[in-house]
Amino acid sequence: MVMSEKIKPEGPDNDAAAVNPAEQVPDWLSNRLRRMFIEVMDEPVPEEFKVLLRQLEEKERGS
Amino acid sequence: MAVQDKFLDQVTALLPALRAFGRSLCGDPARADDLVQDTVLKAWTNREQFQSGSNLKAWLFTILRNCYYSELRHRKFEIEDPDGICAAQVAITPDHDAKLHLRDLSRALQHLPPDQREALILVCATGLSYEEAADVCQVAVGTIKSRIARARDRLVELLGEDAAQVTGVMPVTTSLTEPEKLAEQRTT
Repeated sequence: MVMSEKIKPEGPDNDAAAVNPAEQVPDWLSNRLRRMFIEVMDEPVPEEFKVLLRQLEEKERGS
Repeated sequence: MAVQDKFLDQVTALLPALRAFGRSLCGDPARADDLVQDTVLKAWTNREQFQSGSNLKAWLFTILRNCYYSELRHRKFEIEDPDGICAAQVAITPDHDAKLHLRDLSRALQHLPPDQREALILVCATGLSYEEAADVCQVAVGTIKSRIARARDRLVELLGEDAAQVTGVMPVTTSLTEPEKLAEQRTT
């Protein structure tokens, strides 16, 4: 099921590793990962998504 | 009605991030957009289960991720694009060095196991916290950290020469740090 129960982190590992992303991943790599992500985000959203969302809106209003 | 419209507005605003996450996961723009469409439909169908005020982005990422793994199971006889053929189709025109680097990274990402790839993307590219990424992947925070460490090592290995050109310093393939080892021990 899509909305399955979340598995909560067990044990004390929340405080086990005092690392953060900036310490774990070198700047050149994290910068490039973000750039790659942003490149896709900056693309225009295809028309098919707008059509789908309009259909869902109309469905809701019609019900 | 207004509440539902607001939900749709929020989903619409997150479409670019969903498309980017989907593409990072599978490396194929068309397949990624199919995943996003499935995600939007499932989110809409199950919108009553979303708790207003909680993190919609993380919730949608969870659905997209579930769609991806579900599809992966159905494609079990297909290979995962190890040569980066699909990744090479990512809509990045190599018109200058920066874009070449992004294309290389996109290809290299497809060489990572999916669980490592998603952990790295969720934390380093989408800006989710370790805790949010752990919730999305339904694992412990320590597992996310050790997956990121392994993904980082593999990418440094794959992109090492390229990275040296960018930074002027040849990156050293690092092993797990003490906190990472500790986190891993607690999750295995």
